[in-house]
Amino acid sequence: MDIKPIFLGLKQNKFMAMLMIIQIAFTMGVLSSSVLVATTTLQEWNKPSGIPHEDIVRISPEFFDDSQDVGQAMFNDLKRVKEIPSVINAAPSNAVPFTAENMIDVYLATEEDAQGFKTVVFESDEQIIDVLKLSLVDGRLITASDVVKGDIESTPQSAAEVMISQDMAQVLFGDDSAIGKTIWLAKNADPVKVIGVYSNFMTGERLNGRGKSYQSIIRPQVKWSQTQQPHYLMRVEQGTAVALLEDIIDVFYLERGRYINSSELLKRTQKRMYDGRGSRALTFLVLSVVLLIITGLGITGLTAFQVTQKRKQIGTRRALGAKKSDIMRYFLTENSILTLIGLVIGVAVTLSITFELSEQAGQNFFNLSVLLMTALLLWVVNILAVWFPAKRAANIAPAIVTRSA
Amino acid sequence: MFSYNFHLALKSLKERPALTLLTILAIATGLGLYTTVKTMSYQSGQVPLAHKSKNVFLLQMDNREVTADAVEHQARMVDTTYKDTLNLMQMEMPGVKQTFNWSTYGILNVEDENINPLRTFAAVTNSAFFTMFEPPFLHGNGWDKATEESGEAVIVISKLMNDKLFGGRNSVGESVRINTHVLKIIGVLDTWHLTHKFYDRSFSRARPDNFFIPYSFAMQNGLPRRAGFDCWAANADIARSFRTENTERLINSECAWVTFWAEVPEEKFADYRQQIISYMESERALGRFPRELVMYLTNLNDQLAYVHGRNQFLNTFSVLATLFFAVCLLNAVGILLAKFMRRKKEVSLRRALGAKKKTIIMQHLLEVIIIGFLGGVLGIVISYFGLQGMMSIRLYSSDYTVRVEDVLPYFQLNWTMIGHAFLTGIICTIVASIYPIWRLCNVPPASQLKSQ
Repeated sequence: MDIKPIFLGLKQNKFMAMLMIIQIAFTMGVLSSSVLVATTTLQEWNKPSGIPHEDIVRISPEFFDDSQDVGQAMFNDLKRVKEIPSVINAAPSNAVPFTAENMIDVYLATEEDAQGFKTVVFESDEQIIDVLKLSLVDGRLITASDVVKGDIESTPQSAAEVMISQDMAQVLFGDDSAIGKTIWLAKNADPVKVIGVYSNFMTGERLNGRGKSYQSIIRPQVKWSQTQQPHYLMRVEQGTAVALLEDIIDVFYLERGRYINSSELLKRTQKRMYDGRGSRALTFLVLSVVLLIITGLGITGLTAFQVTQKRKQIGTRRALGAKKSDIMRYFLTENSILTLIGLVIGVAVTLSITFELSEQAGQNFFNLSVLLMTALLLWVVNILAVWFPAKRAANIAPAIVTRSA
Repeated sequence: MFSYNFHLALKSLKERPALTLLTILAIATGLGLYTTVKTMSYQSGQVPLAHKSKNVFLLQMDNREVTADAVEHQARMVDTTYKDTLNLMQMEMPGVKQTFNWSTYGILNVEDENINPLRTFAAVTNSAFFTMFEPPFLHGNGWDKATEESGEAVIVISKLMNDKLFGGRNSVGESVRINTHVLKIIGVLDTWHLTHKFYDRSFSRARPDNFFIPYSFAMQNGLPRRAGFDCWAANADIARSFRTENTERLINSECAWVTFWAEVPEEKFADYRQQIISYMESERALGRFPRELVMYLTNLNDQLAYVHGRNQFLNTFSVLATLFFAVCLLNAVGILLAKFMRRKKEVSLRRALGAKKKTIIMQHLLEVIIIGFLGGVLGIVISYFGLQGMMSIRLYSSDYTVRVEDVLPYFQLNWTMIGHAFLTGIICTIVASIYPIWRLCNVPPASQLKSQ
């Protein structure tokens, strides 16, 4: 197929060509910017939790009456809540999956320049493994006798043995077994020994945002004070959590002088972890789809106009022996040339927009493969948009040329 | 002539309904999104206390030590120390009002065991707060100066708390507990919408404070202080502890943490400023304020402009919405062109029969205005739903911890925005139609009559 007549045709109708190019360039700019923003926001989004989060309830009570005995209350709480028939198991914990933001560095050596590895420490008792339904990967589980329990004031000692998650073991020790190895939970802290490795579970947004979602440590200790009161995690029989929530809250209100700060299924905690980003990305994606539709319609309109303009030429070509497919190809090629030019300008527009946005947000939005995918998508939509008017053009009867003077 | 043109325009609109609809849709979608974003931007850019915002100033004095880093913008400057706050409150100046506050939180509970306690945020402040910031009262009043100086346990609660704890009855005179402290309710606020909670400098939206207590009571009873403490190196290590303890040390420290506000009429501004500078100089004589004397008095308008300019989501969204509208208009140009050029023959006939270019332009302009009008109406309808959608997203993304009542004002269309959208729609449609109309009226008379 000869490209030359297409260029001649475009030259004849410069404004239309310009209009189409500008339109495609703009669409490409806006579309790919919003898709880039959306995909960046959606990175590390909705990853597997590793726990049956629909069947786990978290309760975070808080005493406002300083005269109450936190330790005794905790003992009562656990006893009462386990008496509820559908509650399978319960454990106190200093952190809650999906919201564990207390990120620390763990070390393999005590030297000044030792490398730190990001992690979150869950302090809990031996029931936590069962509550979260984690499986043992290596070593042994913590037992009741490992757990250090007590008021912070009167219990200076800390647990000397910990379990770590699979990802944590991988990061710290690679393919070597982690069992029996020594780690430090702070530069000048006492060393602790790894006794077991458990299956991964989601920690929270701070680690997740760094791509280290599953690096965690479980330390068998439960310590409390008036200002540091444990959360409770409890696993209930499958599907009963929603119905049970009110009953569980009532049980916790049996202790007076206390307020229940949060009470929810971990499913909701998980939703909250992601939804700030999710809803924003969704907004941009919806915009992108609407924009694509509008541009598609616009291109259809423009091409339909071109076809009307060129009726006679098309008839002549047909009369001189051009096949229907030649006519189709003419319009598709013409559109592809314009699209290509538009896309090149559009990429430049995108680069400047994303550069500006990245500057503002201090976050890199650029991603080459997403950009190319968007360009491809836009091309496909363009071809579809041209297809129908082009088809109509192909159906113009050669005889039309004979009608006029 | 006008009615004839109008008649022709209507006829032409009906002629190719699909293209007409497409044009209207393109304009309406673009305009709908644009208006949605503009409305959100407009509403969240509303300055609280608009009737006197330019006379309400945040005071910041640089009391930091010599080694501290230079500060280039008011937003990075430290707040006020407790010491200075009390000293400045002693200053007498007719016509000038001063207040200060910090955030706290507490668990509100009542004797009635059937009502579960509520944990909520609150403001600690002085009596002038109520006259300066004018929160609307449903029952009772704020406290007076004598009450706060005596450290009496009084409290003003929000409508929400009154509804939850007292079932909405007039609770003035009854008592409520913050944690274990018993306080007497002296006032109940009505719904108080501030576009931004400016007074604690959080500029947070849709999360109003739920109770207000006098500073003396809060300090005496060690209620928590939700503030950032900018301390000198000597106190840096315990700065965090000031949130809940070490009240005595905090009072005597150089830690800045109280937000201090003054309402100064325009003619008094220079005097007030001078007075603050002389205060700083006199304190400097006592060995304080070791740096170059820098102070900021920033009014609400300037602060809001700064905060609004930094709204990441709205900024990104505004850029995209404007471009989106531009794409839609380009589409409209294309469709209009397609539509008008089909009428070449008719126009060339009319021109041949003596119609002037002006007539042709008028006729099509009228048509375009009708399209713009319809696009505007539809655009406003779309933006209404757009705003509803954005509000649902806002509620969803805050996990339903904010209430619809508190969020609604940020997503509300008003007449200004409607008028704005309307004009934008019509003007942009006219601009988009310039080229198609120009092309059409330049069709040579009778040129199209030769064939067929």
